[in-house]
Formats: sequence, C-alpha cells, structure tokens
Amino acid sequence: MSPAPAPAGRGHEDPGLQPERTVLSWGRTMLALCTAAAVYLKWLPMHGVFVLCLFTFALCLAGGIYATQRLRYRRSATGIAGERITPDAVSVLLTSGACVLLGVLGITTLLLF
Amino acid sequence: MSDPQDPAERRRGALSERLLRGGAEPDPRFTLANERTFLAWIRTSLAFLAGGIAVEAFTGDIFDVAVRTFLAVVLLLLGMLLSAGAAVRWLNVERSMRHSAPLPLPLIAPLVAVGGAIASGVLVVVVLTR
Repeated sequence: MSPAPAPAGRGHEDPGLQPERTVLSWGRTMLALCTAAAVYLKWLPMHGVFVLCLFTFALCLAGGIYATQRLRYRRSATGIAGERITPDAVSVLLTSGACVLLGVLGITTLLLF
Repeated sequence: MSDPQDPAERRRGALSERLLRGGAEPDPRFTLANERTFLAWIRTSLAFLAGGIAVEAFTGDIFDVAVRTFLAVVLLLLGMLLSAGAAVRWLNVERSMRHSAPLPLPLIAPLVAVGGAIASGVLVVVVLTR
C-alpha cells in the first residue's frame, strides 16, 4: 500500500529524510562557524580590535545560514516531492568564498596586526 | 540534454544555468547528498581554520613565535584550500551527475592527509628538540 500523500507544503514522502539531514548538516556548519568565531576572540588581546571584524563576519555568516534554514527545508521538501531540485549554487559559492575570506583575514591579522 | 525552453529549466536561476550547462537534472536525493558532502568538507576546513587560530592563541608557553606563526599559517592556508576545493568538488560532482559520468576522485582528500602530516611532523620535531 502506498503511503498517504503529505499535506501540500508541509512535508514530503522521502523515507530517507533527505530534507532533515540536509538542513541539519547546514545547522552543524552554522555551529562550526560560531565555534570558529568564538576561537577568533582569543586573538583579541594579542591582535587588537581588527579581530572583532573577523568575529562579526563569521557570526553574520552563521546568522545568514540560520535565517535561511526554513527556506532551505521547504526547497528540499518541495524538490523531493516533485522529483526535481535546483542545485543551490549560490549558497555553496557564498559559503565557500566566505570561508576562504575568513582564512585570508586570519592570515592578514596574524602577520600584520 | 536539457531543454532551455522547459519552464523547470528556466527556474534554475542564472548562476546554476551558467555553471551547470547541459545534461539532465539528477535525482534530487543525489543533489542533496552532494550538498551535504560539500558541507562536511566545509566543516573540515573550518576545523583547520579554528585549529590555526587555536595554535596561535593557546600554545604561547610551548612554542616560540616563529614556530607558532608557521603552524598557524599552514593550518589557515589548508583551511582556505579545503574551502575552495570543496566548492570545486561540489561543482564537478554535480556536472558528472548531470551527464551520467563517473564521479571525479576527491583531490582534496590527499590535501588533508599531506597538510595534517606536515603539521604533525613539525609538532613532533619541535617537541622532541626542545
């Protein structure tokens, strides 16, 4: 017997729970960013207030992920239900670019400040 | 091949359209799995970035300034390379899936191994020669 269809816009029928797993994966990345931001604060006494820029940047990125989690779940659930999903190139490139920038700013802080 | 006149194809957005030309839309489960793998690499890169910061912040009593700075810069560079490599890998895997081609080898995996080995080697040498 096939399962009853999920109410429109509220869920999906994927027993692999792909949308949940993907959103949780973004959530773990957000927590890793918060941890990196907190560790950056340890540089404050050594490298001065420029470190606050790094801290704020990492926290803003984490906040951006948090703010889009609901949208992300809806996109995944809709994609699974419709058997078609758009690869999230914007999020991937933004996240990757932001992490590279965090590294560049970290090295700059370390060597110049 | 995908049809650019297809409404679903037009919905993909300019960036996806530009980066992922041709082929057929893969199973959405595989696309999401690829996204989660990308995120796992990003978390690995964040661990390297946090490790670099931690070496500089917490090992003042163990290493002199030059060693500490060298280790921190190596770890931060590795984190940056992994972040960039994760996006490239995501793109290559997505392209391969669209064209039903074999998935590419993860070239960033040896990077983690070599980078970790260099950082560990420096640590061992410094600890043994103090």
